[in-house]
Amino acid sequence: MQSWRRKSLWLALSASWLLILLGVLPLLRLAVPSRPRAGTLPGWPRWLDAELLQSFTQPGELPEDGPQAPRAPRGGNCNWEACFDASKCRGGDLKVFVYPAAGPISETRRRILASIEGSRYHTFSAAEACLLLLLNPDTPAGQCALMPPQWDGGRNHLVLGLHPAPCPQPFHLGQAMVAQASPTVDTFRTGFDVALPLLPEAHPLRGGAPGQLRQHSPHPGVALLALAEERGGWHTAGTNSSACPWDGSCEQDHGPKQTHPGAALPNATFCLIPGRRSDALHFLQALQAGCIPVLLSPRWELPFSEVIDWTKAAIVADERLPLQVLAALQEMPLTRVLALRQQTQFLWDAYFSTVEKVIHATLEIIQDRISGASAHPSLLWNSPPGALLALPTFSTSPSDFPFYHVQQGSRPLGKFSALIWVGAPGQPPVKLIQAVAGSQHCAQILVLWSSEKPPSPRWPKTAVPLTIIDGPRKVSDRFFPYSAINTDAILSLDAHSSLSTSEVDFAFMVWQSFPERMVGFLTWNHFWDEARDGWGYTAERANEFSVVLTSAAFYHRYYHTLFTHSLPKALRTLADEVPTCADVLMNFLVAAVTKLPPIKVPHGTRQQEASPPLAPGGPAFKQEQRPAAQDCINQMVAGFGHMPLVSSRLRLDPVLFKDPVSVLRKKYRSLEKP
Amino acid sequence: MLECEGETVCVIMCASVKYNIRGPALIPRMKTKHRIYYVTLFSIVLLGLIATGMFQFWPHSIESSSDWSVEKRSVRDVPVVRLPADSAVPERGDLSCRMHTCFDVYRCGFNPKNKIKVYIYSLKKYVDDAGVPVSSTISREYNELLTAISDSDYYTDDITRACLFVPSIDVLNQNSLRVKETAQALAQLSRWDRGTNHLLFNMLPGGPPDYNTALDVPRDRALLAGGGFSTWTYRQGYDVSIPVYSPLSAEVDLPEKGPGPRRFFLLSSQVALHPEYREELDALQARHGEAVLVLDKCTNLSEGVPAARKRCHKHQVFDYPQVLQEATFCVVLRGARLGQAVLSDVLRAGCVPVIIADSYVLPFSEVLDWKRASVVVPEEKMSDVYSILQSLPRRQIEEMQRQARWFWEAYFQSIKAIALATLQIINDRIYPYAAISYEEWNDPPSVKWGSVSNPLFLPLIPPQSQGFTAIVLTYDRVESLFRVITEVSKVPSLSKLLVVWNNQNKNPPEDSLWPKIRVPLKVVRTAENKLSNRFFPYDEIETEAVLAIDDDIIMLTSDELQFGYEVWREFPDRLVGYPGRLHLWDHEMSKWKYESEWTNEVSMVLTGAAFYHKYFNYLYTYKMPGDIKNWVDAHMNCEDIAMNFLVANVTGKAVIKVTPRKKFKCPECTAIDGLSLDQTHMVERSECINKFASVFGTMPLKVVEHRADPVLYKDDFPEKLKSFPNIGSL
Repeated sequence: MQSWRRKSLWLALSASWLLILLGVLPLLRLAVPSRPRAGTLPGWPRWLDAELLQSFTQPGELPEDGPQAPRAPRGGNCNWEACFDASKCRGGDLKVFVYPAAGPISETRRRILASIEGSRYHTFSAAEACLLLLLNPDTPAGQCALMPPQWDGGRNHLVLGLHPAPCPQPFHLGQAMVAQASPTVDTFRTGFDVALPLLPEAHPLRGGAPGQLRQHSPHPGVALLALAEERGGWHTAGTNSSACPWDGSCEQDHGPKQTHPGAALPNATFCLIPGRRSDALHFLQALQAGCIPVLLSPRWELPFSEVIDWTKAAIVADERLPLQVLAALQEMPLTRVLALRQQTQFLWDAYFSTVEKVIHATLEIIQDRISGASAHPSLLWNSPPGALLALPTFSTSPSDFPFYHVQQGSRPLGKFSALIWVGAPGQPPVKLIQAVAGSQHCAQILVLWSSEKPPSPRWPKTAVPLTIIDGPRKVSDRFFPYSAINTDAILSLDAHSSLSTSEVDFAFMVWQSFPERMVGFLTWNHFWDEARDGWGYTAERANEFSVVLTSAAFYHRYYHTLFTHSLPKALRTLADEVPTCADVLMNFLVAAVTKLPPIKVPHGTRQQEASPPLAPGGPAFKQEQRPAAQDCINQMVAGFGHMPLVSSRLRLDPVLFKDPVSVLRKKYRSLEKP
Repeated sequence: MLECEGETVCVIMCASVKYNIRGPALIPRMKTKHRIYYVTLFSIVLLGLIATGMFQFWPHSIESSSDWSVEKRSVRDVPVVRLPADSAVPERGDLSCRMHTCFDVYRCGFNPKNKIKVYIYSLKKYVDDAGVPVSSTISREYNELLTAISDSDYYTDDITRACLFVPSIDVLNQNSLRVKETAQALAQLSRWDRGTNHLLFNMLPGGPPDYNTALDVPRDRALLAGGGFSTWTYRQGYDVSIPVYSPLSAEVDLPEKGPGPRRFFLLSSQVALHPEYREELDALQARHGEAVLVLDKCTNLSEGVPAARKRCHKHQVFDYPQVLQEATFCVVLRGARLGQAVLSDVLRAGCVPVIIADSYVLPFSEVLDWKRASVVVPEEKMSDVYSILQSLPRRQIEEMQRQARWFWEAYFQSIKAIALATLQIINDRIYPYAAISYEEWNDPPSVKWGSVSNPLFLPLIPPQSQGFTAIVLTYDRVESLFRVITEVSKVPSLSKLLVVWNNQNKNPPEDSLWPKIRVPLKVVRTAENKLSNRFFPYDEIETEAVLAIDDDIIMLTSDELQFGYEVWREFPDRLVGYPGRLHLWDHEMSKWKYESEWTNEVSMVLTGAAFYHKYFNYLYTYKMPGDIKNWVDAHMNCEDIAMNFLVANVTGKAVIKVTPRKKFKCPECTAIDGLSLDQTHMVERSECINKFASVFGTMPLKVVEHRADPVLYKDDFPEKLKSFPNIGSL
């Protein structure tokens, strides 16, 4: 009995189990998410009648949609077309007028004004200007700006504030563009306002500190992450830290960690920067340090975001996905890390290292908006040397510049124009012309006749066209972008230079490999003179050089445009007054752009060992000339804000140069004649 | 299937747990015989159940998979959903939405490979209370669009894992739907949640009379991919501006026409223009005559000719869109809407669009650089348009023509292209570290092929103090190796010496036997005797500069090596070596030839002794194209040629040959430059060049005629005053 009862109990139990399972299974089936049901395709179905479906627009509807009258811009909001009257900019040129400050002004402000006045956009006449610039006051309250006289609702005005204003804006900004540091994304009007970087108080006006990056690739021992701290410093964390940098709750459990004092720059591969506006200052620090900024959902607009492609130098990540971001940073391929690091340095140096660059970049952006199709192409903004040094007035095709041939897969033109400066004695340099014209790469010879005497009527017959440009008198005219120059390369010569065809040919071949540098025969070297506490230079033969003389040098014609249109007038005047300065100035300019030394090629030692070319007569420095010349280098350092010249210890020779092998094998054999 | 099995296992485990809990109350009282009987019975029942359960899961999926390709349905058979008149309507779009405020990025947290997952709601037909449809069910283009998404890598059919949701409610054309009811239909989608992470596609927004520039359907937080946004309605970084698709793209065959000047300088082909604009255009034509052509619709077409395909100027009839290929510039004026389908036709014809539509947000402007493909002219400057265009240099115009056609091919030509570009943009916002670069979006394939992005593009002269790491590859020539170590250690800038011991059968000499030098010396043992071990990016390399040197190169002087390092500092992105070699094109054989003669040119340097950046070790080991790395290891030759190819290909620059040195001659070895200079060697090296050139698909090597010497090399100058007096011989 009992066993029967037990049996039945067990049977009942089993039956109930069965029922439960049978009941649960279908539920389980439902719980298994989105399994393809019988008879459905995973994905969007292929409809039987897909061919019969109507188009979203009926034939003829698109063109027929009713025309409508032009509409007026909505009040309050502004965009470029609606709120800026570009027709005031005659000829498409930006002219900027700066309101003079009322009352005493601070030193920083005075220097900012000076730097705007030094730019090629400045004008002293408010009537002529198409942009009226109002500097946000930086003085303590009580001197807040008053409504300027030509305000007109803010039309064609730019309100520039490098630092947060100490007093609230006393009047409505209306249609004025606002250039301010790290504007919030909510109020920023894309394509109208300009986002500036948040600069520290003591940011230099000119010169500026170079980027901190000393090597391309990160040092193997360097920390992966540095995290911006609220107090203004950084702390670094090892590669193995998990998400702790976000909440800071893991101070104790993760590897070696260093806290740097407030002023120090982070030494890490990536710098995590929280999205608060107050952290924008960290952004610039990271940029200078070559530490790749990782911005966590920034609530502010990145500086100059209108033109700078920040994806090449920084990572904007979502702060809500910390683990994914960290994993992505750890797995980032070396190639990308390298590219990002280098771009931080380029951007820092091109647009952010000084107040002057920030202001000039701002004006350049507005000029670009006015120019429309003739503005800087994106490439010019985003690769070295940067838009401030690549003028779109020269060309809008990157391959016309010396800097972008590798990126563009192009080559400079295989011809050069010889530019011969004929000075005081006024004798046609017949031998030189014949030597140069003998080169198969010579396209034309231009003679800049600067002698008081009328140009000589007798010129040698040459295979290439010879043009005489009469009239240039000033030394800086030598570097004027004459429209007759139609080749990429210029061979700059002096009447008393002496070159052989072989030397010209070889130097030109070298230049084609380095179109952005100057390739010359005679060199000087600069040095720091402890005794005089200043820079000096020497023409003596040495193991190093940093300047090539323009009395015989190849360089790109773009440098003529840059010399004439971008250098401050004061420096060009200096070159006119002290002729040797012209050489130094040109070398300063090219070195500042390329950050590389010039190139020296072999030169027969026939005569004039590196004499100052433009000083009439005399094969060597006269002692009394020295002070003026030495002084000019220091004045230029002051003008540039730093010493751009870089020394080199090498010379490029033909492959078989002076090798003990038959001369018949050598292509440039006459180069070796004593 | 995996998931089903998981569930079954769980059932078993749960059951046995329960058995254990209940068991003890009954079982101890039973006899052992009975107990075995019951346990067996129970197990059988349980097994049966499991079998049933498995059966329930397995067979269905197998059946259905065979069914998939068979089952077809009609659009008319989709389920009907009745919307009550008082059902919820979403809020209007929130203009302040940004990705970090309105987009729920957590939903994308699961997605592997930095790719968002997109779910498409199934198609339904929505009717109102009275049974009147809310809109036409679906248009051909929207069906194509959803098909394209469904076929792409973005698609998922798992709603719980999706990060982006695309409703199947067609809102491409606002004119073909009822605004309020469509909004209600959106609001009842199963995951709507105020529209978070929902993406709507709309090409024709607004309707008469005021033609809003964004879709009028209230959509709360949903992202809008819209054609014809203005800066007032476009939420920067949130919405996506898309083109208005031109149906002519699929209907008409229009082969590419090369860039260059064309018959008309400026052409206008739009038919429905505001009279003010038409007056302006007519005035332009009157002023500039033949160069400008203003077309209008044809009034007297014969029956059966589609009006959309013809344009007329007075009595002249032109085929559209073919006529666009006759013009250099084509006007794209705004109509009632800012976005115009004509833009697509114009781009396709390789005609540079002149966009006259103030505040229009151009399609995909977040990623496409329209300055390269179009000219934007403010409406108030319309009368000056001719002179503005005339001022552009010819080269720039041709560039723009090419760019215009490329934009059409890549992003305009089909609904699929538009859909995928939109998803890519959203994907790039969510995974910015994996985003596509400006160049990838904008450079046409021809430029991508020809251009080189130098990985070490920053002009930077590394500080001399950093020094270099010498890497000596050796097998068993210990004596010669020790001499090399001693010689190299005399170079002032050497900071570390790394010996790569490539012999697995023999141990390196004991520590005490090695020469004592002033810098750290490390020995790395390799697992296999491979040539590529010399180019491995060892962790021990702490400097950027690497000197690769063979274990028998003892003829290089300390001055020569130090000078080589200083040259490298000035050219850190190049190979800087001593003996140079050349590749030549053999016209008779029509292939490349290796040349080691006394030539006036160089295109390679031997890596028996060469300075280069350590990054190239990383490239050689991990990024060498094709099978070159293995091929070199198998042939035990040409690793130096492979390195020369790699560096030239990635930097686009030539090598730097330093000093007059022509070959590595040494007392012990019979000949250097590999094994011997005999004929077979030259043939092998030539073969390498041909092999590598075919793998790279191009000949990256650059030929130059210069070498680097110290400034005062062989100058008439006191030797003792020279920095590098002992530069060595050939």
